[in-house]
Amino acid sequence: MSLLDIWLGILQGLGTTAKVTGYGLIFAVPFALIFGVAQYLTTGVTRFFITAVIEFWRSSAVIILLFVFYYALPIVGVTLSAMTVSAMVLGLNAGGYASQAVRAGLQALERGQKEAGMALGLSRPAILVLIELPQALVAMSPTFINQIMQLVKATALVSLVTLTDMTFRAKEIAQTEYKPVMIYTSLLLAFFVVCYPIALLGRWVEARVKPGRGSPHGV
Amino acid sequence: MQDLPKTAVQIRTLNKWYGAFHVLKNIDLHVQRGSRVVVCGPSGSGKSTLIRCINGLEAYQDGAILLGGTMLGSQAKATALARRQTGMVFQGFNLFPHLTVLSNCTLALRRVLGKSRKEAEDLALHHLRKVKIPEQAHKYPAQLSGGQQQRVAIARAMCLSPRVMLFDEPTSALDPEMIKEVLDVMIGLAQDGMTMLCVTHEMGFAREVADQVVFMDEGRIIEQASPKAFFGGAVHPRARMFLETILH
Repeated sequence: MSLLDIWLGILQGLGTTAKVTGYGLIFAVPFALIFGVAQYLTTGVTRFFITAVIEFWRSSAVIILLFVFYYALPIVGVTLSAMTVSAMVLGLNAGGYASQAVRAGLQALERGQKEAGMALGLSRPAILVLIELPQALVAMSPTFINQIMQLVKATALVSLVTLTDMTFRAKEIAQTEYKPVMIYTSLLLAFFVVCYPIALLGRWVEARVKPGRGSPHGV
Repeated sequence: MQDLPKTAVQIRTLNKWYGAFHVLKNIDLHVQRGSRVVVCGPSGSGKSTLIRCINGLEAYQDGAILLGGTMLGSQAKATALARRQTGMVFQGFNLFPHLTVLSNCTLALRRVLGKSRKEAEDLALHHLRKVKIPEQAHKYPAQLSGGQQQRVAIARAMCLSPRVMLFDEPTSALDPEMIKEVLDVMIGLAQDGMTMLCVTHEMGFAREVADQVVFMDEGRIIEQASPKAFFGGAVHPRARMFLETILH
């Protein structure tokens, strides 16, 4: 089996890797936004419960969550497909991290921004949507790009719940070909080929949003 | 049209605490419509806190504030009303850095007053011309000098046609050579008959424009006089000391 065959073999798993990442984002993005904003706006008991949910997804080991949701839940009658479990677990884990970036971005804004909005008579939701979030999300965009790349790489774990992703394909080929160095190096490269464009996209996004940024005191 | 009440702002025995710290003590202040009141005093005297109470940026525990005869409570509705009637200019400008100068000015016109884009932009450009900066309308705040940013902030506040303009040390964050351009705009507003309440250390401005100078120390108003009387011979020793330090 030539190097090209190995490559093509591994890339057969690309669809699954992409799917897990894509569905994962469907869980991650709303979770990060809703919980990050909620943690920023709430206090007391409400904030405690919101923090508890974030910490559950952020502080648990992904591999254990995968096993629990895929192998243990059916015992209590809840059966989810491997794709659903993978997207949900990886997505909410990444969303947990990203929610902290959302919150940090909001907290890092100058208090004067909110006050200026209040003085102009804007409602609290309007201040959040029109003034705070646009600035916070732009400031945090490098962190979000990091999170997406982490999510892509985390998909290497889904082979443990039967999905045929790139890692699973590599393992399959390794079993028949017995060329572990060549095969796993190819897998490494395959992940790089997927992740590097995301990094480039991130730089492009950052460069594009820059003109509107800068300190309001920029004299 | 309904006659506007003669008193624009009326503050009655206002008291405010930050925890155990009594920051405003029995403040009584009347601002007549069309008058200019300058509030000065050493830092920590409560002057910024006082004007921030007027538009509800700070809550207070005791006393009353009436805006154009309407009592302000702690209810959201009353606060919203107060913010519709007042415009505020901050020490740090607080322009929205992600929006152009024009969008900074049109944001509240469109989202609070529900004006169309065209209507809002026309109004914004009118006020940007008044602060002599219409050519910067499509730039972002970070591309402007401090003085220009503060003039935009004044235009932004004026767009909502406030009955009272509140200034919280509008020139304190500026380089010396930019102070004049901002003060000139403020003098222009005063000449147009705007009711103004300014916290400032610009005594030249106070002398030229104010009808009334209020001197605060340790949360109290300890002297309240015409600029002539205040600068000619402040009664309170603390005020005299302050003037000596600031005028030399």
